[in-house]
Amino acid sequence: MLARNMRSPVILAAVAALLIGACAPSGTQSATTQPQPTATSTGPKVLKMARNAEPFSPFVPWQIDDNPALFISVNVYDTLLRTTKDGVGVEPGLASKWESSADGLTWTFTLRDGIKFSDGSALKASDVKGSLDMARGGEKSAWKDNYKAIKEITAVDDKTVKIVLSQPYAPLLSVLAMFSGGILPADMAKATDAKDYDNTMAWKTKGTGAYYSEGWKKGDPIILKRNTNYWKGTPAVDEVRIEYIPDDNTRVLKLQGGESDLVDFVPFSQIAALNGQSGVKAQTFTIQQSAFVILNTSKPPLDDAKVRQALNYATDKDAIIKTVYFGQAKFMNSPIPQGTYWDKSLPGYPYDIEKAKKLMSESSGKAGFKMDMQVRSGNTNFANTAVILKEAWAKLGVTVDIQTLDTAVVRTNYRAGNFMSTPSAWTNDMNDPTEIVNYAMRGGASPFSYWTRYNNPDLNDKITKADLEQDAKKREAQYSEIQKIYLDAAPLVFIAYLGATAGWRNNVDGFFIDGLSYYRFEDVKINK
Amino acid sequence: MGRAAYIRKRLLLMVFVLFGVTVVIFGMVRILPGDPAFLILGDRATDQKAAELREQLGLNRPVLEQYWMFVSGFARGDMGQSLLYRQPVGDLVLRRVPVSLALAAYAMGLAALITLTFGILAAVNKGRWPDQLIRVGFLFALTTPNFWFGILLILLLGLTLRWFPVAGFGETAAQHVWYLFLPALTLALQLSAVLIRNLRGQIILTMRSDYVRTAHAKGLSGSLVLLRHVLRNALLSTLTIFGLQFGFLVGGAIVVETVFALPGTGQLLIQSITARDYPVVQAITVISAVLVIVVNLVVDLSYSFLDPRVTYE
Repeated sequence: MLARNMRSPVILAAVAALLIGACAPSGTQSATTQPQPTATSTGPKVLKMARNAEPFSPFVPWQIDDNPALFISVNVYDTLLRTTKDGVGVEPGLASKWESSADGLTWTFTLRDGIKFSDGSALKASDVKGSLDMARGGEKSAWKDNYKAIKEITAVDDKTVKIVLSQPYAPLLSVLAMFSGGILPADMAKATDAKDYDNTMAWKTKGTGAYYSEGWKKGDPIILKRNTNYWKGTPAVDEVRIEYIPDDNTRVLKLQGGESDLVDFVPFSQIAALNGQSGVKAQTFTIQQSAFVILNTSKPPLDDAKVRQALNYATDKDAIIKTVYFGQAKFMNSPIPQGTYWDKSLPGYPYDIEKAKKLMSESSGKAGFKMDMQVRSGNTNFANTAVILKEAWAKLGVTVDIQTLDTAVVRTNYRAGNFMSTPSAWTNDMNDPTEIVNYAMRGGASPFSYWTRYNNPDLNDKITKADLEQDAKKREAQYSEIQKIYLDAAPLVFIAYLGATAGWRNNVDGFFIDGLSYYRFEDVKINK
Repeated sequence: MGRAAYIRKRLLLMVFVLFGVTVVIFGMVRILPGDPAFLILGDRATDQKAAELREQLGLNRPVLEQYWMFVSGFARGDMGQSLLYRQPVGDLVLRRVPVSLALAAYAMGLAALITLTFGILAAVNKGRWPDQLIRVGFLFALTTPNFWFGILLILLLGLTLRWFPVAGFGETAAQHVWYLFLPALTLALQLSAVLIRNLRGQIILTMRSDYVRTAHAKGLSGSLVLLRHVLRNALLSTLTIFGLQFGFLVGGAIVVETVFALPGTGQLLIQSITARDYPVVQAITVISAVLVIVVNLVVDLSYSFLDPRVTYE
């Protein structure tokens, strides 16, 4: 045992060490290590972005099922065609021109001259075939359904790709412009489909896009380096550094503090405030996104269209747009977002409580009923919407029981049909309405008309026909009819068209979120 | 019993505690509703595809078998594969442990400093305004949720005064120390709030003892009496709370790591629970449990250094 009086130096030393240890960082570091300026006139230009989520899918275009990964994918892997900036049309991408046979079954695409992958090797038609074959038939492809009309793809020569369809398929060009059709070198595309393929290898990319990644580890920032072989010209920014900052407030603070040049998912409530400050800007971009409430039409009395219409009329969309989305949203007049073949003449369900009460009194729900509304925890917009609806629908004798649940639970429940209503949102992944009508309106099989269990054989039939129609005018008319039928049936409570938000410092120029919510860094500049 | 025997006994006990932890956490993540297969495959997945994935991930094997795979794997140092990322859990988790550990140690260091300073200050000024101010001030720190407190600190020290970065972890070791200051302070202020009240009370109690009066009577200076005679005795119970609070730090750090965007285990844990990534949740929980147990053991052992009368039985 040590003598008692020998101990006090130990304590004093410990206290002293703590003092020194705790003071050092605050005192000395702050003076020397100020945040690095974003770009200097001599050094490389680095764009620092703070983003709300980390990818979990590998950077393999057709295996991607999360937004953060697809936002990377469109910057590193180009597609044969591209969606126009407004998200409505299609324009040339890797293919500079294309033509189809008179029956619409054979399509020939000609690749641009001199396109190279980020490592300098040349793009060949066989790479296009190799990649698209994986997208349409690969074991791990999440997007096979989009390509099912394709019978065969052949590389005629190094620059010509021929796609043969088993039946006419109007959305073909739109599908080829979708991120899932990104082109990898053929051998790499094939390797990713192997059962024992190590997904982390896909973080290192080799595409023809404006940027490439040399690899990534979860938890680290994602670093995109510019591709000096890029066919549209070398991008102005040398490096994009994407940091994961999950908290909305922190992301905005990083922007205000100058630690980030660009942030995504700025809360709607902060757009106006940011624009009132010097040095920063914030904007809501129009994208093809809608917010609504899914009604389970297999649960009485929601099986009665009048009940569903009544709920629609009793919903004050303007109030939701104002209080939940801070004015950064628009009235939803049609079941599909504002993209190709969106029918802007449809009326939607303008707020009309008298009409709602009348419809309800004529319906099977006239005695009033109880209904659960399952809200995904962590989604403030959905939660606020639910609170407003609970109060609004009480006027119809509907008692809404708001249940806040984990996203995992909500998803399991709506797959299984264990719910009556749940707020949700949809974003188009391609510019053609075929995706949303097949997913969200076609009934009878999973996903059961976006889990509403609404099934109208006549409508299903019309959806199938619209995919086959080659004439754009006729197709537009068909989609107008489809929208109208679904709107009248009201398996959803239609609320609002939303936008995508971002904020950036004044030195950032050319940032743009396109109609499908993708953003490309190829045109972004940093001015100093 | 000597100190060595005591440590042996505690380590043996730790095995049982860990067994309990593994059973509880294994059971809890599986009781949680929500199917990982659909979370991984997305909404477009067919039921058949999901069934195949469950088979591939071993999710449809008997629960006891799954538990055995988890525990035996862990014992061999193999924490399994992340369901979501399809990469070894060890790769995901182990590189994050130092971040969280550094944050916890940093916060405890700051908390010790704050507690000693303000605890002593409050005690010697008992009933006067510095004492009142400290007690009210730290009560505020204690009752404020730390996600909000963190944002307040960012606004004041990060954005307005520009002394510290807003969020992130930095790249060099020096930057880590600088970047971690605000999150560590957020945790430390809450932790200190509990400790200061305790230390103040203990000091006041100890100052009434006979031996303190004797020390004063001997003519020792006030500060010497305080440091050598009062503080050492008063610290004992504060130290116990200090050790127990390490568990709080592990929990509280989850929120703080999210607010300050630190790539620690807490942030990964939140993501993994949301994604029902069982192996990652299990690994982080077990590692945290080991850390808490070890720290408490260290605290228990430190008693004998503070007070030689303490023996281990």
